[in-house]
Amino acid sequence: MRIRPVYFTRRALEGMARGPYVALVGTATIFVALFATGLLAGVLSGAEHLLAAWVGEVRISVYLSPGTDLGAAHAAVSALTPGREVRAVPAAAALRQLSQELGDSSHVLDGVGPGALPDSVDVLAPGIGLEEARALALRLKALPGVFDVDYGNAWLEKLELFVSRAKFASVVVFAALALATAVLVGNSLRLAVFARREEIEILKLVGATDSFVSAPFLIEGLLEGVAGAALAALALLLVQAGLLPRLRSAIPLVSTLRFEDTLPSALLLGLFVGGAAVGLLGSALAVVRTLRKA
Amino acid sequence: MIQLFHVTKEYPGDAPALSDVTVSVEKGEFVFLTGASGAGKSTLLKLIFCDEPATSGQLLVLGRNVAKISPRSIPYLRRAIGVVFQDFKLLPRRTVAENVALPLEVLSLSPKDIRRKVKTLLRSVGLEHRAQKFPPSLSGGEQQRVAVARALAADPPILLADEPTGNLDPERTLEVMELLSAANARGTTVVVATHDRSLLDRYKRRVVTLERGRLVSDGDSVRRISGEGR
Repeated sequence: MRIRPVYFTRRALEGMARGPYVALVGTATIFVALFATGLLAGVLSGAEHLLAAWVGEVRISVYLSPGTDLGAAHAAVSALTPGREVRAVPAAAALRQLSQELGDSSHVLDGVGPGALPDSVDVLAPGIGLEEARALALRLKALPGVFDVDYGNAWLEKLELFVSRAKFASVVVFAALALATAVLVGNSLRLAVFARREEIEILKLVGATDSFVSAPFLIEGLLEGVAGAALAALALLLVQAGLLPRLRSAIPLVSTLRFEDTLPSALLLGLFVGGAAVGLLGSALAVVRTLRKA
Repeated sequence: MIQLFHVTKEYPGDAPALSDVTVSVEKGEFVFLTGASGAGKSTLLKLIFCDEPATSGQLLVLGRNVAKISPRSIPYLRRAIGVVFQDFKLLPRRTVAENVALPLEVLSLSPKDIRRKVKTLLRSVGLEHRAQKFPPSLSGGEQQRVAVARALAADPPILLADEPTGNLDPERTLEVMELLSAANARGTTVVVATHDRSLLDRYKRRVVTLERGRLVSDGDSVRRISGEGR
């Protein structure tokens, strides 16, 4: 069969014009699936960026047992963290800092003596990864006189766990959505194929190959996929434009999020590629099943 | 052009639609295939244009053994066979010109060549002025003439017609038969399945008669070919 994209596209568009309801159902199905997937992927992408940003500001606090020499501990920690800024924080300084952070509520510290907090050594570790922070904390904890190490691990590990689980879930959800969408699109296109069974029969009668008969339906699926993806991308952009500024002003933690963090161009491209693939797969399923019976 | 050797076609649970049929149609012949309803006329045509496979026997069409043809090759063989049906099989939502253009689109002709060829074909069947009409707005005779034009569009060496006048009044019947005769005069091999005795009487052509799936006569005279005689 000679490849004639203009001819087959024209026939696909004619088919869609003759059965607009079927084309709308196919497009809407792909739109819903891609919008749900895009929303999930956008949230994950934002969470990943937040995680990276928070990890980038990690401060590792090494708390010392009473009686430990702060100077010696500072030297030992510095030796383990070459190139990083290391600060010795005496108990009294820690108490002052806490009092400042409490602000108007600092009166709750009235009566608290300078020995209430331990001496500590802070390591500023911008850009450190979570795994690296975890390994460093283990090494720091093994130093003599250290009784605890804190690097914000509770928050970070929970967030990391959430992101990794959500990533896995999104892969499963996307695969399930893609399959379900392909089947739904396939079924709606089967209606289109069924509505044009007479045309298919006559085309085959006059010597059309299966490829000739299938091509317009495949293009129809592709067009529906791309249209569904375009609608999904538009809807995601609108949701983002409406939601992100409000989130940024309401939650300080997400104030660093940019538009491209939650809806990167790779995700938008992925929506179009995914939509086209799902549309093609659905129409192929419909046409193959129908042609087998023809 | 068309040769059948001991061809049998059976459908599960039914008596054979065709039973041990041996017949040959030469290039340029005009043959009437006749018999009562259920005699096997349509089945025989379906076997020739590969709509169904024979249960047994050999069937040669244009030198190709249809019994052994691969499904991928069927479309290419069909391009050499024009088919006309009693119910016309026109696409109601495509214009007359678009219906006639279908085989030419399948052959990947350029739009310009398709337009030129369609115009010539419609002129030959007297429907040039109806090119942009839709089939439902045409009379039965006109629709059948469109179907004949479509069947002849790709200049096929073989034209099969299954009860082409079954839905037409006598005047329209003559119009369609004249078109088939004209195609035959230009060298096309024509096989017409019909149970209309008046056609056989009017057009003195070779007549192949089927009865309950068996070939019972072949020729101008009624020459019985009994099973016992072979």
